[in-house]
Amino acid sequence: MTGIKSNLRRLAGSLLLAGLGATLGACSEEPDVTIGLITKQEVNPYWVTMREVAEDTAKKNDVTLLTATGTSDVDVESQQRALQEMVAEGAKGILIAPTSSTELLSAIEAAREQGVLVIAVDTPVDPLDAVDAYFATDNEAAGRLVGQYALVKAQEMGIEPKIAMLDLAPGISSGELRHAGFLNGFGIAEGDPAIAAMADTEGDKELGEAKMAEILAEHADVNVIYTVNEPAALGALDALRDANVNLSRTILVSIDGGCRAIKDAVRPGDIDATVMQFPENMAREGVRALATAIRAGENLSGNLDTGARLITGNPAPGVKSNDVAYGVRNCWGN
Amino acid sequence: MAGVAENSSTSSERFVARDLRIPFILLVLCFTAWGAAANLTDILVGVFRGIFDMSNFQASLVQFAYYGAYFLLALPAGFINKQYGYKTGVLVGLGLAAAGGLMFLPASQLLVYEMFLLALFALAAGLSILETSANPFVIAMGKESTATQRLNLAQSFNPIGANIGVLMGAVFILPALTPEASRAIMSDSQLLASQEADLALVLKPYLGIALVLVVIWLLIFFRKFELPQTAAATVEDIPSGNVAGRLWRNRHYRYGVMAQFFNVAAQTCVWTFTILYAQDVVGVSPEASGWWLQASLIIFLLSRFLMTWLLGIIRPSLLLLIMALFGVVCCVIAIFSLNTLGLIGVVSASASLSLMFPTIYGLALQGLGEDAKFGSAGLVMAILGGAIMPMVHAAVMDEVGPAMGYVVPGVCLALVGAYALFDLRNTRPAISDVAVSASAGDMS
Repeated sequence: MTGIKSNLRRLAGSLLLAGLGATLGACSEEPDVTIGLITKQEVNPYWVTMREVAEDTAKKNDVTLLTATGTSDVDVESQQRALQEMVAEGAKGILIAPTSSTELLSAIEAAREQGVLVIAVDTPVDPLDAVDAYFATDNEAAGRLVGQYALVKAQEMGIEPKIAMLDLAPGISSGELRHAGFLNGFGIAEGDPAIAAMADTEGDKELGEAKMAEILAEHADVNVIYTVNEPAALGALDALRDANVNLSRTILVSIDGGCRAIKDAVRPGDIDATVMQFPENMAREGVRALATAIRAGENLSGNLDTGARLITGNPAPGVKSNDVAYGVRNCWGN
Repeated sequence: MAGVAENSSTSSERFVARDLRIPFILLVLCFTAWGAAANLTDILVGVFRGIFDMSNFQASLVQFAYYGAYFLLALPAGFINKQYGYKTGVLVGLGLAAAGGLMFLPASQLLVYEMFLLALFALAAGLSILETSANPFVIAMGKESTATQRLNLAQSFNPIGANIGVLMGAVFILPALTPEASRAIMSDSQLLASQEADLALVLKPYLGIALVLVVIWLLIFFRKFELPQTAAATVEDIPSGNVAGRLWRNRHYRYGVMAQFFNVAAQTCVWTFTILYAQDVVGVSPEASGWWLQASLIIFLLSRFLMTWLLGIIRPSLLLLIMALFGVVCCVIAIFSLNTLGLIGVVSASASLSLMFPTIYGLALQGLGEDAKFGSAGLVMAILGGAIMPMVHAAVMDEVGPAMGYVVPGVCLALVGAYALFDLRNTRPAISDVAVSASAGDMS
């Protein structure tokens, strides 16, 4: 009987240990890898989110992460310097959001000649094969989503569309692709008479407000407004309010997925819909891809679409969208 | 009382009889285990919503399965105890709960939501039997004069378990889940792999709980012990006459059962949807949202001590009214302040909930005499509120938005407040008056 009791105690002890063990994850160490992340600036929370997710992913993947950033979206010099410094510090892979599609090519080439893998994130370089891979939002698809949404909503509301397009600036591919995507989604071509006005906002709130006010002065009947990003949309919204435009009869769409716009403008319905891009996917997938390739001693190639989701509190039939709660959960910034 | 002999040894004079110390410790572990399991379930609603890409309403079926099982098994548990004894009840409860925990294993292999609901139902059914058996079992483990103290000591491990449950979720599950943004770019096969990985995370804590329950089961099953003679007196006897009718005609009791229903409903809603509010309304990360729920439970625990002290200086029904109104205010803040302040409102509502169950319990049973034993069953079965109202809360979230869901616990708490007001304004009938009016068929 004592033997049975003793065995049972041992069995109970083993089960208890197994139970505790089942609640603990296994830890594993992988060879250390150093990689770098170069963003454009840190005023925009988009880039802050990208850095934070890269740091978190690096930690989870036993990767040493070097980070650098510039002072603005056009600060090429800082990025050139950062590329050289990171190579000197032993980075075997670099994620870079280029501030220029062409002016960084020589610095990137120099890094690649030293065997460093380079992934462009968010913004492409020209030519695209100047980097090993490109991880970014499919801007054309993002524009197409808001175009489709605006079309269905215009039909639902029974309005004859008078479109205002608040673009980025000439020659910037992301803005041009979004513009083209919107027209495609709305089912119209460049120069269509439904387009009442177009203006460049440089993605800036104040410029967005000023350009929208100018458009309203000439075309008070504008009722569909496309904005290239959310700062431009928030500026346009201010102008619409100043002009006492009936927002319930106006369709305002945008692209970005920042928390401020989602919470303050999409949630109350002032911006009807926005397309969320995922800087966290660019960072997470970029760090993982580099770590895996470097550890395996392999090269990288190809592009990765990092996703785009339409966020709205007022869905349009036939257009796939996610609710505002999804937007709040996944938005970037605060 | 089959399987447990009774005697009148000197050990009955102790707080816990000498030979019952180990079983007492094991039962205390049971109290901890069901607290952990119950509050780990609060985390599952949001987790399953993400993994299976379902609506809030569908995800809230987790609580329906859990609390529904608690409700359905309350009476059969009483029958098992009466017929076969507390030890058998405890063993059946432990066995069923462990089986429920182990059922997470095939469920996570099959990747079927309904299998998880079934596992949760079995787990909760076992815990319901366990709770029903363990309470009187603990009472019977020593002299009658220390029974309440003994039960309080054992029950104080329940909120500790509740905190451990949330902690397990916050540490082992929430931070390791596949980020929702990642799923936006996954292929079907990658999505399936991420589902498997995430469900494996859910599996681990439940498997851990199941294995601990198996250990306790083995230790209790193979341990011979006898309950003191005094324990026999604690077996509840149903008083003679039409007890149910007498109780139903007593408005203080009838409304008390309803108030308890809405109290449990409010508590389950507030805790179940704290994580979802934090994520959907404020944009808090999954891992941080777990800590907000943890804060909620700690506030609940601390304010229990505060309320115990306040109950000594303020009339219970008045304090109940004040705290119910405080809870309503918290919910209103949560509905209209869609930021961290709203989240603080959600978490603070736990302070109002902390005194409700025991206070309503006491108010509803006050002056019922022998009928109180039977009447307490009705109050325990009011746990049904925890099964039904979270579904209503979730449906409101799906239709109107995540913050508006807090209308549901707000209304529930207002109804608890209405009961407190009723108790303050209406004098309590003497037990003899109730009996007379009942025999005369007076329904007033």
